[in-house]
Amino acid sequence: MSFDYINLILRPMLEGAKVTVLLFFIVIVFSIPLGFILTLAVRSRFKPLSLLVRGYIYVMRGTPLLLQLLFIVFGLPLIPVIGDYLVLDRFFAACIGFVLNYAAYFAEIFRGGLLAIDRGQYEAAQVLGLNKFQTMTRIIIPQMFRVTLPTVTNEAVTLVKDTALLYAVAVPELLHYAQTAVNRDFTIVPFFFAGLIYLVITLIVTMFFRKLEQKYHYE
Amino acid sequence: MAFIEVHSLKKSFGNLEVLKNINFQVDKNEVVAIIGPSGSGKSTLLRTMINLETADGGSVCVDGEYLLKDGVYEKGPVIKNITAKMGMVFQHFHLFPHLTVKQNLELAPRIVKKEERNAVEKRSAELLAKVGLADKADAYPGNLSGGQKQRVAIARSLMMNPEILLFDEPTSALDPELTGEVLKVMKKLAHESITMIVVTHEMDFARDVADRVIFMDKGEIVETGTPEQIFNNPQHERTRAFLNIR
Repeated sequence: MSFDYINLILRPMLEGAKVTVLLFFIVIVFSIPLGFILTLAVRSRFKPLSLLVRGYIYVMRGTPLLLQLLFIVFGLPLIPVIGDYLVLDRFFAACIGFVLNYAAYFAEIFRGGLLAIDRGQYEAAQVLGLNKFQTMTRIIIPQMFRVTLPTVTNEAVTLVKDTALLYAVAVPELLHYAQTAVNRDFTIVPFFFAGLIYLVITLIVTMFFRKLEQKYHYE
Repeated sequence: MAFIEVHSLKKSFGNLEVLKNINFQVDKNEVVAIIGPSGSGKSTLLRTMINLETADGGSVCVDGEYLLKDGVYEKGPVIKNITAKMGMVFQHFHLFPHLTVKQNLELAPRIVKKEERNAVEKRSAELLAKVGLADKADAYPGNLSGGQKQRVAIARSLMMNPEILLFDEPTSALDPELTGEVLKVMKKLAHESITMIVVTHEMDFARDVADRVIFMDKGEIVETGTPEQIFNNPQHERTRAFLNIR
């Protein structure tokens, strides 16, 4: 096994890793805020909204992400009449699927985080004259963020690996190029390198979140 | 008209009547201790006065303004205006764990009253010195002892310049050797021009510091009087039983 060969297979795989990382960032950036909005909606006193969002979370968590991706990428265009307008760029469609799915998980994580915050925090804020918005943004959300950080880390690591599902909706990414090389060259080596690249990405993600945890470990 | 007036205040949790027809008044700068057995409604009374609990009936009037009149609450802004005159110190401190001591003190004056940073910082330094914690400004609550936390909580409520300070069993969650430092700060405050209502199990504090003592039992005010009257010559059987006086 020569360096030339490794170079040959690594090049497209690293290109594919760019897609993997891009998807990761898009999903993190959009699904965390969306998840928090869903949490607030679940806690809303307006019952129909709360029920609707609970149903949404149930469906998103209760069906495979792979099914959801296939549905959005290949299923939506099959809908009569409007289907033609739902033919989206596959990567874009996959992003939507991932964000919708991960937002549901984050919503549940944040809901748990809010439950962990003592009622006394709300009372202390009220007695000091903070309004509801100030109480949420200054007192509750920062603490919720800290409480949920380890679980969010876990979810982020899962996301790195879930990006491989892009393979199933024919968006070329890291695993796709590894598989291509394996088929072409009849060697298992590309799989090892793919695994290595995933490990490096998850290591970076884990270290980043650990730094965050240390930063927000207020003691 | 007294500074604080409470008339026929009623409050139930389900079938349990926690406050039955409470009537009392507090004068400006008076220090009132509320004593009584657990479950007698002392804390609920305090919490109702500062709108942490909703009463079922009665009136609460502070400095001539009604928070609650004959069972009807005033509008939100009016209530906010009235409760802004009050501060509250909780049994379990309820400091904000993600903020330093200094930030705990300065948050509300900055974002609620929109005060100048310099003025707020000056006052927080003064108040921390006053409660003996000048060196803890940058510590997080998690690194403080219970007594230190409670002193920070007192300083935090003083930052809003309240005219009335409500204490809800401020030393009940503390180890016995830590209650002294908190009571000392409270004694210091009692000698200043601030109205204090203190729910407490510290009889010595009630005896030494309070101008007046209210004894509550089963949701009622049983007896009220000077510490001298309550502790040395209680009129009511229930008071005598509670204080172990025959």
